Amino acid sequence: MSICISYDSTFDGFLSAVFEIYSQHLDVESFVPDRDAGAADDLFQQRFRVEANEDSAMRLRRAIVNYAGEDVLNLLETAFLSEEAGIEMKILAFLRKLFTGDDPNYGKNPASPEMLPLYKLAGSVRHEAGGMLGMVRFSKAPGDFYVAKIEPKYDILLLMESHFSNRFADGNWVIYDAKRRYALLHDKTGKCRVVDVPDDAALVNAINTDGYTRLWQDYYESIAIKERENPKLLRRCLPVRYWKNLPERQAARF
Amino acid sequence: MDVREKLNILSAAAKYDVSCSSSGSRRSAPPSGLGDACPAGICHTWSSDGRCVSLLKILLSNACKYDCAYCVNRRSNDVPRATFTPKEVIDLTLEFYRRNYIEGLFLSSAVVGSPDATMERLVRVAKELRRVHRFGGYIHLKSIPGASEALLHEAGLYADRTSVNIEVPSERSLTYLAPEKNYGSVYGPMNYFAERKIEYGGSRGRYTPNFLPAGQSTQMIVGASGESDFQILTLSAGFYKQQRLKRVYFSGYVPVNADKRLPALTTKPPLVREHRLYQADWLMRFYKFDYDEILDAKHPNLDLNLDPKAGWALRHPEFFPVDLQTADYEMILRVPGIGVKSAQLIVSSRRYCKIRLETLKKMGVVLKRAKYFIYHPDIPAGVRQFYPEMIRPLLIAPAKSQQLDLFSPPETLALPAPAPAMPAAGRLPLALPAQPRLLAAG
Ligand code: SF4
Repeated sequence: MSICISYDSTFDGFLSAVFEIYSQHLDVESFVPDRDAGAADDLFQQRFRVEANEDSAMRLRRAIVNYAGEDVLNLLETAFLSEEAGIEMKILAFLRKLFTGDDPNYGKNPASPEMLPLYKLAGSVRHEAGGMLGMVRFSKAPGDFYVAKIEPKYDILLLMESHFSNRFADGNWVIYDAKRRYALLHDKTGKCRVVDVPDDAALVNAINTDGYTRLWQDYYESIAIKERENPKLLRRCLPVRYWKNLPERQAARF
Repeated sequence: MDVREKLNILSAAAKYDVSCSSSGSRRSAPPSGLGDACPAGICHTWSSDGRCVSLLKILLSNACKYDCAYCVNRRSNDVPRATFTPKEVIDLTLEFYRRNYIEGLFLSSAVVGSPDATMERLVRVAKELRRVHRFGGYIHLKSIPGASEALLHEAGLYADRTSVNIEVPSERSLTYLAPEKNYGSVYGPMNYFAERKIEYGGSRGRYTPNFLPAGQSTQMIVGASGESDFQILTLSAGFYKQQRLKRVYFSGYVPVNADKRLPALTTKPPLVREHRLYQADWLMRFYKFDYDEILDAKHPNLDLNLDPKAGWALRHPEFFPVDLQTADYEMILRVPGIGVKSAQLIVSSRRYCKIRLETLKKMGVVLKRAKYFIYHPDIPAGVRQFYPEMIRPLLIAPAKSQQLDLFSPPETLALPAPAPAMPAAGRLPLALPAQPRLLAAG
């Protein structure tokens, strides 16, 4: 009978599950990450819990690197951050083929039926992370503290860490992912850590209270060239789902 | 006048300069300083006309003493004038930067006093940002035509990029429209920077300055004077080769002044033409096309209904169909419907397996367009037959008439098998376009 594996939603948790699948010869039909735990339960399916295990995750990472290389491991992890429904099964399908070792070049081929969708998905995740570097908007809160809120489609907060740590190396700042309720917190000594945010009222209240928001909105309005207005092009470059956290688009929306 | 008012006036006055790129520089944050620059550049937002906004783009002053016909800031216009103090510009830049609104500053100015006096003020702002505030973000400085070499040199030490706009694509039109300028005053700074870059580029020793790391750009107004696209592309190809410019921008003329030397105020900006020119420019920069492949004396203007890459392909049936399994990367890039990313994917995967049509689609190849130009065992021979005069309307067909996906059910194959006689256009099962549609270069 095929089973459904529940795990803690992390990549290491997922790798640990794959490790168990191999060592116990499990026949898996689907995965349920904890973030979806509340979602409709399939009563007829057997749930099997796998806890994240650093050691098994490590061994699997090593195996992937051996068979396919560092890049592929990185690509899988990036695709995993998409949180797309069914992503675990897609990665598992790829790993299954990879580990059979039938085709020594399998891991290098970006266009195999199992790899191409993952390749594309990782591309989308990187694309969003790259775009988000420009779309984080800090507001200055009391105490020289800079606060930003984002709601990305994919779980990309940690992909942005090094960029902001380099750029604002001696600043106090926090970037808060309101969708996943956790934040990246940086202090002026250069330390950066991840924190959960069970109650975000204080954070959210600090946003856009700063006088420069107004100046930025003004600037944005005054650089538009009326004769060239192009709402379609704008939406394509800057999808509407991001506008909510961009003060310049809020003012423009009326 | 407060900063807010100045910002409104001086950013509106700068908006017709289209360049806003923050690319080309790798600069790590100075010790206990603020900010860095990343080579790919970062867009922070898009203006409502769909342009990427990356820099705080403002004029230091719009009180110009010149009188260029095409410019809002010319002295004969009755517009509110304003001038920033250096401190105001610096504060705005740093505060905007800390909030991650921008990658840095794009500072330009109308000519106030002499060209040197103007240039000197621009340089002072950049110098103070770098030296006093240890600012590591991006700085783009405009070079003022006629400024002295000493000032230009200093600008190169603090700025990532500089630009001087040619504005009008022929010298005759330039002196007609901007009587105080000539090509010499524009080429002066450009050539100076190009030579210094070569001089400093050779050896990166301890004492070689990091001079103008992101190079230079320029801008041409399109549609204000009568030059052909071929003239425009020839000129920009020259800029890329001789002055080693990083970018040439085109700005479809937006009439801002009633002036008998210029198109009437009611003229719409030539946005389609501008778009085609950018596509052509893209082909030169990323697809290894030469300007005289895209246009020539016989075809002096870009086809507004068709992207220039498809245009080239249709004029050169002798190169097609291309076999994706064996063709060079450069040739694959030339197939309409295949972009840089898919071309790379094709080349890096084809040694491992035969490329299937399904896979091509998933890679992002636009088969609707590409199929006329590639050889593939699964494409019926009829499609492969190269008749430019038949393919052209199919490439510019509006989206609606392409609902009939020419691929999925093989029975609905659009083009009849090549009969000895050419099929009449009326037999094509596709509706022909009533309205030409813009197609992006694939
Ligand atoms: S020099 Fe000419 S283009 Fe420049 S601001 Fe003055 S009038 Fe405008």
